[in-house]
Amino acid sequence: MAYSNKVIDHYNNPRNVGTLDKSSNDVGTGLVGAPECGDVMRLQIKVNPDTQVIEEAKFKTFGCGSAIASSSLATEWIKGKKVEDALAIKNTDIVKELSLPPVKIHCSVLAEDAIRAAIGDWKKKHATAEPVAVETAQAKA
Amino acid sequence: MHPVVPSPETLSAQTCWSCVREIEKAAHFCPHCSKLQPPADSDYFTFFGLQRRLNIDLSALEKEFYKLSRRLHPDVYARATPAEQQWSTQKSSLLNDAYRTLRDPIARTEYLLELEGVKLEEQSRTATDEAREQGKEKQQVVPPDLLEEVFELNMQLEEMRMGKKMGERDEQVAKDLESAKGRFEQMLSSSNDDLRKLWNEWDQVIASGADAEDPNRVAVRDRMVALLNRRSYVRNLVRDVNEALAT
Repeated sequence: MAYSNKVIDHYNNPRNVGTLDKSSNDVGTGLVGAPECGDVMRLQIKVNPDTQVIEEAKFKTFGCGSAIASSSLATEWIKGKKVEDALAIKNTDIVKELSLPPVKIHCSVLAEDAIRAAIGDWKKKHATAEPVAVETAQAKA
Repeated sequence: MHPVVPSPETLSAQTCWSCVREIEKAAHFCPHCSKLQPPADSDYFTFFGLQRRLNIDLSALEKEFYKLSRRLHPDVYARATPAEQQWSTQKSSLLNDAYRTLRDPIARTEYLLELEGVKLEEQSRTATDEAREQGKEKQQVVPPDLLEEVFELNMQLEEMRMGKKMGERDEQVAKDLESAKGRFEQMLSSSNDDLRKLWNEWDQVIASGADAEDPNRVAVRDRMVALLNRRSYVRNLVRDVNEALAT
């Protein structure tokens, strides 16, 4: 199976690989896995508390080229976006952009999961006024 | 993707195309006139005349495989009608697929789960779509502590590979990996034991005549799905650790 040029580009020059301080209050961390292939992906965001804008996004993925490309693209897309806008990104957007074949769709799912998990973690730290977020924060504690 | 077809219980009798006497639906040969029958719309278990059970007598399966290989072989039908020639080719190919799937414990389990309506390839996406629509957080199918461990170990493996590229061998990392290897091999073998226990539970449920909607049948099925999800991580880890240590 041939990878698309965009996948190869992200694979060879992954954007935003790295780590943010997990314990920081402004950082949200998402660690997710794809059971289909055993891949694992960590995506971290740093959110400006005043503007709710994602100022930094870093990832580290262990998996195939498509999984690395999906997470690399995900960090590019969410950087500079407001948290609520980042939540609007769907796996199908990633599939389209990278021209992923059907057998690699789960890689894009993983990237969407990672974005949502990172934002979820950040929201828990802040336990904003939303009742849902408060509930999950308590459930975790 | 494997074909998903009705279970043997729903298959009814049919007639032999040649002697027009009544035969069992998935029969390979007519018991009256011995003629080869067209491929039935059946699953791999039915192909081998087996119930949908997970404990399989492998030596009996092998024997049956060789027996059917000989009897279905296209050479046997070289001078038969074109239809029979085509059936023999189709059935020989089905036979190989069925045998390869059923003799492997994991492939057999995955195949059965597919027959039971589980879409292993799509479960993650389905859960993501649901979570997004409901604005909820997705429940990861793999426990978070295992994910942490997988992630940490992969970091160590990467460190070791980089060190090797530079011509170094970090003894501490190598030591850590050795002990991780033991731990994951242990996990893999205990997950194999757990799978076998679930096979037994499954076979009991089937023996009790439970239909597809039976809550016990669904419960055992779902526990097997969870176990296989976990297992694919552990299997990858064992593979990667072995790779890193081998060189």
